Amino acid sequence: MGRIDMREVIGRYGTAIAGLAMIVFFLIFAPNFASTMNIINVLKDTSFLAILALGFALAFTVAELDLSIAEVASLAAVVCGWMVHAQYPPGVAVAAAFGVGIVLGSFNGYGVTVLRIPSLIMTLGTAAIAKGLAFMITQGVAFVGRWPVGFTSLARGYTFGVPNLVLWMAGATLFAWGLVKWTRTGAHMVATGEADEAARLAGIATTRMKRIGLLLAGVFAGGMAMLLAANLSSAAPNMAGDYLLYAIAAVLLGMTMFEPGKPNIPGTVFAALVLKVLGNGLVLLGAPYYIQDIVLGVIIIGSVAFSASAMKKAAFKV
Amino acid sequence: MTTPIPLLSLRGIGKSYGPVVAVREVDLDIFPGEVVAICGDNGAGKSSLIKVVSGAEEPSAGSISMRGKPVSFASPHDALDHGVATIYQDLALAPRLSIAQNVFMGSELTRPFLLPFLRVLDKKRMIAESQRYLSQLSAAVTDMTRPVERLSGGQRQAVAISRALRWNAEVIIMDEPTAALGVKESALVLELIRKLKSDGRTVILISHNMRDVVALADRVVIMGAGRKYVDQPLGDLSADDLAHMIMAGNAKAA
Repeated sequence: MGRIDMREVIGRYGTAIAGLAMIVFFLIFAPNFASTMNIINVLKDTSFLAILALGFALAFTVAELDLSIAEVASLAAVVCGWMVHAQYPPGVAVAAAFGVGIVLGSFNGYGVTVLRIPSLIMTLGTAAIAKGLAFMITQGVAFVGRWPVGFTSLARGYTFGVPNLVLWMAGATLFAWGLVKWTRTGAHMVATGEADEAARLAGIATTRMKRIGLLLAGVFAGGMAMLLAANLSSAAPNMAGDYLLYAIAAVLLGMTMFEPGKPNIPGTVFAALVLKVLGNGLVLLGAPYYIQDIVLGVIIIGSVAFSASAMKKAAFKV
Repeated sequence: MTTPIPLLSLRGIGKSYGPVVAVREVDLDIFPGEVVAICGDNGAGKSSLIKVVSGAEEPSAGSISMRGKPVSFASPHDALDHGVATIYQDLALAPRLSIAQNVFMGSELTRPFLLPFLRVLDKKRMIAESQRYLSQLSAAVTDMTRPVERLSGGQRQAVAISRALRWNAEVIIMDEPTAALGVKESALVLELIRKLKSDGRTVILISHNMRDVVALADRVVIMGAGRKYVDQPLGDLSADDLAHMIMAGNAKAA
């Protein structure tokens, strides 16, 4: 009673503290890292990753892997850019991006729950289809141009002095956290992911929960894509591809903190920040760009190895 | 004690998996407040029969009624809605989730929050009520936020039973509740079942352990090769008698 168990603290917050220490290290030692401009850039960059990773985390909450998120995001960005170029109002372009996420997220859910295809395989298939469609729509070139401010300010604007991107990230985080921690649907998703059969026998509609998890992964990918296109005023068929491994790394690294072994929302967002700070800090310290990929791989493997065996089981239950 | 209208009544229940017939034409009446033990060797059809009654699987033949009214259990949810809860030996709990989360799994309590249509989980009440259920069962657990994996086997059974109480189940089906437990833990579970009975709940007990059956049951049903071939009050049958009856049944079936 009242005594703090150090092992518990380290198990719960060890990697988070290490991440925080790393951020402090860069703040002190990396040239220009602490400038307002750079910090805002890192936060903006984190927003894209965090939103995409939150979708992956929600699918992982129901114990499904969604490897299609990055390609779905690319396709959604392309469709979104297409709408902007065709002079549709920004609202239509935004709806189109989310629409792509909803359609492909539902398609993944259908494949996993009705056709009973393991999500690893199903979402790889969806990724390939999305990639092909994105190239088909653009014929391999990007939509670039002078885009209406009404659309681009969704990502580039500021509200009350806070970058809109950061607000989107905060909104996505709040939504995901509220859903998982405070709603019945969220509780049912968690139970489904933790113990599928027990949840089903307790009367939970587990297939519906799996569909919701995969649907949300698509929706978050669509939202991230819309912001990505708005921020760059362009949409290319491969623009989100690089985010897949980062998103997976964020979720897995996030699973080493706060609620060890479980995909969790605060962990995912904090890990996304840590990954982006690490990338940015390494560049500022003069490390060659390829170091980032190597570090990313080490983090992915290390996170899973570091965690309890329960997590390994979850990660490979496909 | 028993009333003439059965609480739960099975007629001509059959269950086959492809060419394999697991249960054949079983008729069974369960009366309010009794503890009925279903015994039989592995492969006798006990588990398949229970899956049908719990809504986990649909019967290939036959019908189920409750208090004389026909019902159909298309899912575990249907069965729970009719007051029939099943506690499976290994499958009942999510080990990494807390006691409260397990007790309220599938029937979480909510409270209004900010907006008229928004309801959020009422964690405080779920913790308080889990505590109440568990103390009703005299299980010595205090921290409802502890993950179930850190509990002993007997305490886990108490959590699983609490969930059935939470559903306000009239009929509680227990599948091998003491199979994985040590002597002391088993004693705790037997005590839990006695408590349920004294509260007027109806218990269907699936067990390999004839001593448990003798200690608890009002009536014994023995199955073999998918059929029910003994259905009688326990009377003064001993554990040995029951074992002989199961063997005799096997011989007949073979």
